[in-house]
Amino acid sequence: MMKIGLYIHIPFCQQKCLYCDFPSHANLTHLYQPYVAALCQEISDLGGVLSGCIVDTVYVGGGTPTVLNASSLQQLLRQVGSSFSLAPTVEFSMEANPGTVDQEKLDVLRAGGVNRLSFGVQSFSDPLLLGIGRIHSAQQAREAIHMAKEAGFDNINVDLMYGLPNQSVKELQDSMMQAIQMGITHISAYGLKVEEGTHFAKMQQDGTLQLPEEEVDEAMYQITTEFLPANGFKRYEISNFAKPGYECRHNLKYWQYQPYIGVGAAAHSFWQSERRANIVDVLSYIQTIQNGQSPIEICETPERNIAMAEYVFLSLRTVQGLSVQAFDQYFQTDFFTHYREVTRILVEKKLIVATKKQIRLTVIGMKYGNIVFGAFLPE
Amino acid sequence: MKTSNIRNFSIIAHIDHGKSTLADRLIEYTGTLSSREMESQVLDHMDLERERGITIKAQSVRLSYTAKNGETYMLNLIDTPGHVDFSYEVSRSLAACEGALLIVDAAQGIEAQTLANVYLALDNDLEIVTVINKIDLPSADPERVKKEVEDVIGLDTSDAVLTSAKTGIGIEEVLEAIVTKIPPPKGNADEPLCALIFDSHFDAYKGVIAYVRVMNGTIKPGMKMKMMATDKIVEVTEVGVFKPMMANVAELGPGHVGFVSGSIKNVKDVRVGDTITDADNPVAEALSGYRKVTPMVYCGLYPVDTSEYDILRDALEKLKLNDASLIFEPETSIALGFGFRCGFLGLLHMEVVQERLEREYNLSLITTAPSVIYKVFKTDGEIFEIENPSKLPTPQEIEHVEEPYVKAMVIVPNDYVGVVMELSQEKRGEFKDMKYLDTTRVMITYHLPLSEIIYDYFDRLKSATRGYASLDYEMVGYRQSQLVKLDILLNGEIVDALSIIVHREKATYRGRLLVEKLKGIIPRQMFEIPIQAAIGNKVIARESVRAMRKDVLAKCYGGDISRKRKLLEKQKEGKKRMKQVGNVEVPQEAFMAILKID
Repeated sequence: MMKIGLYIHIPFCQQKCLYCDFPSHANLTHLYQPYVAALCQEISDLGGVLSGCIVDTVYVGGGTPTVLNASSLQQLLRQVGSSFSLAPTVEFSMEANPGTVDQEKLDVLRAGGVNRLSFGVQSFSDPLLLGIGRIHSAQQAREAIHMAKEAGFDNINVDLMYGLPNQSVKELQDSMMQAIQMGITHISAYGLKVEEGTHFAKMQQDGTLQLPEEEVDEAMYQITTEFLPANGFKRYEISNFAKPGYECRHNLKYWQYQPYIGVGAAAHSFWQSERRANIVDVLSYIQTIQNGQSPIEICETPERNIAMAEYVFLSLRTVQGLSVQAFDQYFQTDFFTHYREVTRILVEKKLIVATKKQIRLTVIGMKYGNIVFGAFLPE
Repeated sequence: MKTSNIRNFSIIAHIDHGKSTLADRLIEYTGTLSSREMESQVLDHMDLERERGITIKAQSVRLSYTAKNGETYMLNLIDTPGHVDFSYEVSRSLAACEGALLIVDAAQGIEAQTLANVYLALDNDLEIVTVINKIDLPSADPERVKKEVEDVIGLDTSDAVLTSAKTGIGIEEVLEAIVTKIPPPKGNADEPLCALIFDSHFDAYKGVIAYVRVMNGTIKPGMKMKMMATDKIVEVTEVGVFKPMMANVAELGPGHVGFVSGSIKNVKDVRVGDTITDADNPVAEALSGYRKVTPMVYCGLYPVDTSEYDILRDALEKLKLNDASLIFEPETSIALGFGFRCGFLGLLHMEVVQERLEREYNLSLITTAPSVIYKVFKTDGEIFEIENPSKLPTPQEIEHVEEPYVKAMVIVPNDYVGVVMELSQEKRGEFKDMKYLDTTRVMITYHLPLSEIIYDYFDRLKSATRGYASLDYEMVGYRQSQLVKLDILLNGEIVDALSIIVHREKATYRGRLLVEKLKGIIPRQMFEIPIQAAIGNKVIARESVRAMRKDVLAKCYGGDISRKRKLLEKQKEGKKRMKQVGNVEVPQEAFMAILKID
C-alpha cells in the first residue's frame, strides 16, 4: 500500500512573532471552532479519496496548534484517526508553543495518538525571547518540556534560533546546553532570516534591528554544527539534529521527494508529482469547505527539468544526500547525463562529493548550499 | 530628363533640428509616396535609427516636383549620417550633390556638428540653402539664428526659408529654393563613365548594391564597370533609382543619382568614395577625395556564453556585409576566452554595432573598454601599433609611446566657457582658439587625446554644460605621451580584459577609482577577493570584496518548496550574466566599469 504523510495546518497564534512570515494570525479566536470543523470536514473527505493509502507520518503545524483548547484538539485527532489508516508505527508530531500548553492538554494529545512534540523554544534567554516577540519565558519552556515528559512523550524536538538581535555565541551555546540537558531527542537550529513583510523587515528598514555581525552569525552556525553532534545529536539536515533513530520522518519526506497531503488553510500537498496549495485566507477556506467545494487553489505539475532540480536540491539538504539510483528510478533517466558538468564544477569547488551512487554536500557545501542548489536549477 | 532639370542636394542638420521630419514633408508634398505609404521618417530604415533619431546609413530618394515656373524637376535627396563617427561618409555624400539644405533650429541655433558639416559642404563647393526650422516654437527667434548663420558661417541669410516641418509651413518655399538656388549638375553623356559611390548595401539576392552619383557618361546593364580603387571589374546587371523603394531604370546618365548592381559578393569591393568607370573605356583619373576608412576605436567583444562564439562570428560577418568600416579579428583573452577585437569609426558606431548584435542576433556580450590605436616605439627599434591595451610591452622594452590627438571644437553659451576649459585642461587638452559666434555663443578649440574623448569627455562636457555644449572633432595626428599600462588583478591574477592604457600622472587616480568601482560591482563570494590596480609590479591601489560568510536557506519544508525554488532561481538569475575569471565570478558590467567612472 502507498505510504503517505499528512500535514495539518493550524493558522492561529496567540501573538505573531516579529520574525515570522508563516501563514498564521493572531486575534482570530472566533474562528477556532469553525476552522476545526472545516478541517475535520476536509480530513473526512480526503479519507475517502485516500482510502488506499497508509498514513505513516502526521505533522500538525502552524501557527500554534496548541492555541486550540483540549476538546478541539481531541476532536481533530479523533477525526484523523477515524478517516485515515494510520500505520502502527506512525510518527505523529505536533508543534507546540510552551506558553500554550498545560498538563491536561498534553495528556489529551498523548491519548489522541500524538507521539512527538516539537516545541518552539528558540532560546533559553528571556531578554532574547522578548526581543523576538515570543509569548513565553525560558522557565515556561523548561516546564512545558517537563510536562510533556510527564505526559509520556519520549520524542521531543526543540527549535532553537541563532543570529537573533543581541544574541551572543555564548548565549546560543548555553541554550543548546540547556536543551540537551532536558533529555530531548531532536533539535532544529535555524539561522534568523529577515523575511519580507515581517516586523523585523520593517525594523531593518528603519535601522532599529541590531543583528549580530556576519562573523558572529557564522560562528553561531559553526557552533551548532559542532556542539550538537559532540553531544550525541547527529546532523541529518542543514538545520536539523537528532539522536540516532529520532530523525523527523515526516520532514524527511519533504526532502526525499515523497508524497504528502496537506489539509487546512495554506497547506501544501505533493501528490502524484503535482504540487497543490490550499486557499490561504482562513475565512475563505472555512467558507469554501462549508460550501462543499474544494479548498485547492493552486495545482501544478512542475516541468520535468524543474522537478528534477527540486528533487536534487531537496535531497541535498540532507546529510545523506541524493541517491543516484533513487533519482534515476524516479525520473526514469540517468542523473549524470543531465548533471555531469555541474557535478564536476561543484566537486571542483569542493562544495559536493560525488560518487556513482551518491551525491552529497561537503561541510563547506552545507554552508553555501544555495550556490549548489542554484547550480542544479535549469538555466 | 535633361540635366538642367536635375537637382542633387543633401540636408545638413544637428540631431533633433528636424532633418527627418523635413525630408518626410518633401516626400509627402511632392507625392512621391501617398500618405498611406508614408511611415513617419521614411528614410531612417533601421529601428535603431528611428529610436535614436539618428541616421547611420546614407539614404537616397528621388522626388518629382513641378515648380511654379511650370517645369518639372527631378530632385535627388541624399540623406547623410549625422554623426562625427561618419564624417567621411558625409563628405562623400556631399560630394555627390550640388547643394545642401542647412537646417537650423530657430530656437537653438548652430551646433558644432552642423558647423563641421557646413564646412564640409563648402569645401565641396555646394550651394547652401538656409532653412530656419521649428518657427512654430514659442522660443523661436529666427532673426537671431539668421544673424548667427551670417556671422559664423558667412552665408547670406536674407533669403533663408522659414519653416515648421512639423506643421508643414514653408515646404513649398523649400522646394522652390532648391530649384532656383541649387545649380543643376554639369556633366557630359558622351564622356567616359565616371560615377561616385557614396554608399552601398548588401542584398541577399543581388549582392552588393552601390549607391552612385553619375558625373559623366552613362551606366546601363550589360556594360562592364570597374571600381577604380579596388580594380574590381563586373558586369552591370541592374541600374535604378530610389523612389524611395528601389526601382529599375534603363540607364543612369550625367547628374543622376541611383543604384547599380553587378554580382559583387563583397562589400569591401564597393568602397564609399571610390569611382566607377567603364572598364572598356575608362576615365584616366578617379574622382578625388577617396580614402580608405580606418577604424579609430577598438574594443573586444566576447560572448558571455562561450558556446555562442560561432554565432557571434556569423553575426559580425553579416553586419560587415553592410558595413565596410566594421573590422574584426579573432582574439583570445585569458579572462574572457574566445572573442573578437573589433574596430569602429567611433563610439556611436561601436554602440550601434553592439546593440545590433544583441538585438538582432540575440547575443549576450561582454564588451571591453574601448581603446584607441597606440604607436609603440621599442628600445630595440621595432615600431608597431596596438589596439588592445593588454598588448603593451613592459616599460623596460618601451622607448616611447604615441597616441592619437584630435582637434575638438566645442560650441557653448559663454557662461560655460570656464567649465569647458577646465574640463579640457583636465583631459590633457591644449588650448588652440576661442571665438564668439554671436554675443552669447562661443566656439572653443582644443587639441585633445582621442582616448580622453572616448573615455568620458563628451559625457562630462554635456553634464558640465547642462547639455548645451555640442562637440565635433577630427584627427590631427599622433603625439608622444607618458603612457603606462594599468593592470587590474583579481585575487592576485591579472585580468587581461581589464587592462587600460593611461597617462602616467593619472594612473594612480584612475587605478583607485577603478578598484573602488569594481568593489561595488563584484558580488561577495565564498572567499575574500583582493582587487588591485598595478603598473608593472607596483600595486598602486587596493580594495577587497569581503567573503560571504554563508549562503544557505535555513528552512525548506513541504509548504514552501516552490517559493524557495523561486528564490533560488532569482539568485541564480543574477549570476547568469557573470563570467568566471579564475575562480572569481565577475559580472559583465565590470568590463565596462572602466568607462563609467565619475
